[in-house]
Amino acid sequence: MQVDHVIIGILIFIIAYIAIVSEKIHRMIVAVFGAGLMIIFHVLSQEEAISKIDFNTLGLLIGMMILVNIIGETGLFQYLAIKSAKIAKGSPFKILIYFSVITALASGLLDNVTTILLIVPVTLVISDTLKVNPIPYVIAEIMSANIGGAATLIGDPPNIMIGGATGLGFLDFIVNLLPLMTVIFIVTILLLRFIFRKTFVVSEESKKEILSFDEKKAITDKPLLIKSLIVLFFTIAGFAFGELIEIQSASIALFSASVLLLIGRIEPEDMLEKVEWTTIFFFGGLFILVGALESIGVIEFLAGKVLIITQGSISLTTTLVLWMSALLSSFLDNIPYVATMIPLVNSLSEGSVATYEPVWWALSIGACLGGNGTIIGASANVVSRGILEKHGFKISFMKYMKIAFPLMILSIIISTVYLLVFYL
Amino acid sequence: MNKYVQSETNQHVMKLIQMGADVTVVSGQMVYVSFDINEEIKVSYVYNINKKNRYFLERIRPYPISVKEFETAEDICNIIKIDVEQFRNAVKSHNIHEFININYELHNLILQFEDLFLYYNIDHNTFDEIKTDIEDIHERINKAKEKSKRVYFGKEPDHLKG
Repeated sequence: MQVDHVIIGILIFIIAYIAIVSEKIHRMIVAVFGAGLMIIFHVLSQEEAISKIDFNTLGLLIGMMILVNIIGETGLFQYLAIKSAKIAKGSPFKILIYFSVITALASGLLDNVTTILLIVPVTLVISDTLKVNPIPYVIAEIMSANIGGAATLIGDPPNIMIGGATGLGFLDFIVNLLPLMTVIFIVTILLLRFIFRKTFVVSEESKKEILSFDEKKAITDKPLLIKSLIVLFFTIAGFAFGELIEIQSASIALFSASVLLLIGRIEPEDMLEKVEWTTIFFFGGLFILVGALESIGVIEFLAGKVLIITQGSISLTTTLVLWMSALLSSFLDNIPYVATMIPLVNSLSEGSVATYEPVWWALSIGACLGGNGTIIGASANVVSRGILEKHGFKISFMKYMKIAFPLMILSIIISTVYLLVFYL
Repeated sequence: MNKYVQSETNQHVMKLIQMGADVTVVSGQMVYVSFDINEEIKVSYVYNINKKNRYFLERIRPYPISVKEFETAEDICNIIKIDVEQFRNAVKSHNIHEFININYELHNLILQFEDLFLYYNIDHNTFDEIKTDIEDIHERINKAKEKSKRVYFGKEPDHLKG
């Protein structure tokens, strides 16, 4: 590798990274343009570039997006939300807790943004009926989505990427992260309930109106809903036992999507139109950008520097990765961050006799939970704020941060204790 | 579909279903079309193309006409073509502004009549009086047609027969 290729590669990566973080230009355009520059300037060849793309991650994302879009159209979310609001008898606090539980569970299985797009509209209808401010509900849902998403392999893109790079499977994520996320979820929701204790005043009339809602009407296609849930069940079972049957998660997700398209008699064009292709291409470009950095030896160089700081201590590396990931992910997009960190952690673990598994969990936890810190910390947050603003409710950066940042820090403290006690 | 549009649609669907409606969401393309007939008069249309093969066309300027549904997308272009031709022809008349103003008034009249019925309990005599007035206007339009020279032959009139 020539020196000028190294310099060009580093320059392209830094400029692309700044452009992605600044959000002035769509991140997908930047990533694909940057990847193109890497090839044009011979930092890496087209064949090398393609080999850097993690097609397991892309396939898993596409397959799950198709499944989720189909399920979303059956009205399942509206059914669950109305049913739970009725069980809560219109009590605003109980509704906050139930909606948070639905959001956390759903985002463990679905992409966080999709979960938000399904739950927030329902929340707005319910809060409008109750004549209460929807902001506390939406803040609880944002945090629940990020916590729930952190608990599983398929819940958040950083986990999908970490799973794809390390071979850590669906069950590994469940066993290692679900208990921790359950504790963090309970603590967060109880504290949110305390923070918003003086917010809600609801009339009996509004409560009665909620009880008049008919959840059964929300189901738009019952046969499709049943088929979707059966396919989803087998998909999750496939993820859980994927290692035993030696099939990777992308194949399981894409096969499940094709089964549901087949048995649901769904127009494939309609469903493929709803796949977030910008996200898929963004990932593709990003893999090439980071892959180029790896090829020119920058990742190895950085790993060497990190090793000097941590002296090879797994405890110190884990704690450092956890806190650095959380703080950076509060303000920056966690996807490019994790994409860069994966080869770095891989490089650190090379030649190490100790297991680097705690470091991978630290990266996952930090990147996913860090997103809770600010309103720009994760895509789910940004989308939620956008929806609220369109309805005349404004969550300012500081207003959100005052509530969420301390809660995020608390969740990272809990995670630090968890990792130190159980892994180090 | 844009995330925010999708979110808005989800809310509408939920509210409308709870109101007792059957709701079908059809993805499609909304098309806005505009022609400058002359420096003062612009003719604009809005229509929707979708996979369900149901096309809705509405003229929004210089005065609104009610929504129409057509069988094929080609029909839309033909209808717009004839409509624009007729307006290009009509602007040659000195009475074009009067024509547009009267159309506005007629449109407002329909809205006022709707309000009258929906907001007030109207006695039957009032309906009879309005009906008689409308018949008078019909008669006046037909008489005017008989004594006036026809100026457009691109197609037969849709509503003025004979």
